[in-house]
Amino acid sequence: MTDERPVVLLPQVPPLGGSYVRGVAAGGRLAVERRLGRAGASLPALAYEVAGVRPDAEHLTAYQHHVGESGSDRLPAGFVHVLAFPLATALMVRADFPLPLVGMVHLANRVEQHAPTTLVEALDLHAHAENLAPHRSGTAVDLVTEARVDDRLVWRGVSTYLAKGVRLAGRPADDEPRPSFVPPVPTGRWHLDAGTGRRYAQVSGDRNPIHLSALGAKAFGFPRTIAHGMDTAARTLAAVGPARGDAFVWTVQFAAPVLLPSSPSVRVARDGDGFGVDVWHARSGKLHLTGRVDPLR
Amino acid sequence: MAPSPSPRKSSTSGGAPAPTARRALVLGGNRIPFARSGGAYAHASNQDMLTAALDGLVARYGLQGERIGEVAAGAVLKHSRDFNLTREVVLGSALSATTPAYDLQQACATGLESVVSLANKIRLGQLDSAIAGGVDTTSDAPIAVSDRLRRALLDLSRAKTVGQRLAAASRIRPKDLAPATPRTSEPRTGLSMGEHQALTTAEWGITREAQDEVALRSHQRLAAAYDAGFFDDLVTPYRGLARDANLRPDTSLEKLAQLKPTFGLGLDVPATMTAGNSTPLTDGASTVLLGSDEWAAEHRLTPLAVVVDAEAGAVDFVYGEDGLLMAPVYAVPRLLARHGLTLADFDYVEIHEAFASTVLTTLAAWESDTFGKERLGLDGAFGTVDVDRLNVHGSSLAAGHPFAATGGRIVATISKELHLRQQRDGGTPRALVSVCAAGGLGLTAILEAA
Repeated sequence: MTDERPVVLLPQVPPLGGSYVRGVAAGGRLAVERRLGRAGASLPALAYEVAGVRPDAEHLTAYQHHVGESGSDRLPAGFVHVLAFPLATALMVRADFPLPLVGMVHLANRVEQHAPTTLVEALDLHAHAENLAPHRSGTAVDLVTEARVDDRLVWRGVSTYLAKGVRLAGRPADDEPRPSFVPPVPTGRWHLDAGTGRRYAQVSGDRNPIHLSALGAKAFGFPRTIAHGMDTAARTLAAVGPARGDAFVWTVQFAAPVLLPSSPSVRVARDGDGFGVDVWHARSGKLHLTGRVDPLR
Repeated sequence: MAPSPSPRKSSTSGGAPAPTARRALVLGGNRIPFARSGGAYAHASNQDMLTAALDGLVARYGLQGERIGEVAAGAVLKHSRDFNLTREVVLGSALSATTPAYDLQQACATGLESVVSLANKIRLGQLDSAIAGGVDTTSDAPIAVSDRLRRALLDLSRAKTVGQRLAAASRIRPKDLAPATPRTSEPRTGLSMGEHQALTTAEWGITREAQDEVALRSHQRLAAAYDAGFFDDLVTPYRGLARDANLRPDTSLEKLAQLKPTFGLGLDVPATMTAGNSTPLTDGASTVLLGSDEWAAEHRLTPLAVVVDAEAGAVDFVYGEDGLLMAPVYAVPRLLARHGLTLADFDYVEIHEAFASTVLTTLAAWESDTFGKERLGLDGAFGTVDVDRLNVHGSSLAAGHPFAATGGRIVATISKELHLRQQRDGGTPRALVSVCAAGGLGLTAILEAA
């Protein structure tokens, strides 16, 4: 392993079911500790790993159908994220994780697919947290997940989350303004119905209440359920399709949540060696997410 | 390589004799293992399976990013949303997005017809390369709403006033909500294919033992071909399957004899057709790579076989004149007469095993003096096929039969066999392919080593 952190080898991928319950409890405890000035300001210095994870064919098919990928035996890069995500969540619900899991905002995601990986290969999964950093709206953190086949790194994901209003690491040095977005000519449109969040929760196992019910969404300040970030991100990768090649970098920056139901406009277009992707609200022109898929060098 | 003149060139030379069409070659094939209905591909769609088979072919022959002349494929059971199935599969595959595609369908002859249609385009000079295919799933079959509900819903969508809407909606009855599943019976007779074949089986007096022997041989030969590695470059594993799920290498006449008959139960002769000597419902997909001599040379691909000619046939089964699956019995003599060939001129004969008795009734009709004289208009019997030349690597009874995928399986398998035989013994070995289909249809073709 490239990482220096002590490794905790888990016997299996931890189930996600109780994570949000524990996350809510941990969030309450953290809020109290912060008020008392006792909350930690560092990340757990360890990595979680699980060896020999075998993807399930039915699970893969359901995921591929949901995000619009071909029904290949190759695992879509977003599917590997789904497999590895419970390890990252297990880190985030630890008592010594300094930020509350529930209510965290997914800011950006970067995946490097080094080599194709297929249904018949057993994956060794790894997760750790790094880069606790000040952000203009709170504190950001990177959850790094990796997948190896026979000690060969095939996939590496970095998910950047924001804990809003939590000031652990001071203020950012420079508060750079967001680049303004001018909607380009769309190449397509997605039709995301009201059940999109629930169905992605089923295929991903990630049952964050903001995707499941209007009530759950309202509890966190959203008027309706919102599409899962990794769902919309996976659709951008599916839209690029087989042209992404065997080894690629897939990056996404999330700008504003997609409130369901929604039919956002999409542009997927060649840009240099790779593809650029934008997804925006069809009427208001407000950017939901922007991303790229480029050959891995 | 000596390409024959293209039609375009010779048409400019005035009163030249009719141009000889150039050769259409089988360059390879790829399929996914066939799964039993509700098995490994239970939730895979036609699009998923055909994409998997196509991407396997693309990977095998280094066609990533390549613009192929045309891809044609089809499915017998198809969702209405899959109106452009083959093009969608191309767009989801590693082929260039500028590869055109079309869907076609001729019941169980779909796969072979896609090979024949594309081969003809290559022979005409319209295409230099093509991929033929077929796919079917009985696990993910389309289910439609009832006709009454469908009409009411359509009227509802056209209604302009509240009154019209209420009138349309009020026609819907609870029983209309029951879904309509695809029917496997013949629309004009109401009999299933198995029930039809049971009539033909009884008419020709085909025994249970003879049918079980055909089934046993199919399993043994397919298993032997897998064991010998014959399918290593013809099959891409998918969803955990590496071999056809229906294959029973260890079956025996004793085991087959224990199965209860499933078709022909109401006839006045003993029923002989069982689940063991009939093909099961199957999911799967197959593809065949076709090209001209020039295209093959440019891509450094070894030609396996030439698609020489094809003949479709149909029988009037509605009034019982002929058995539902007997069309090839008539098509083959016409096809062979056109080339001055007899059954004895073929090194291989592939007769799709819809049922073991389909093979046996076909052979019985060809061996019959009376049938030859009275129905085929010949001087006597058409001819015989001994088992050494028949379905040499097994067929649908062992592999299973995902309707539209069967033609591609047979063409790829026998083309490779023709090539190996030529490498071993020289000469130009020749194969006859025969596929029966619903609606009293049949499609037959001649292939020879390239």
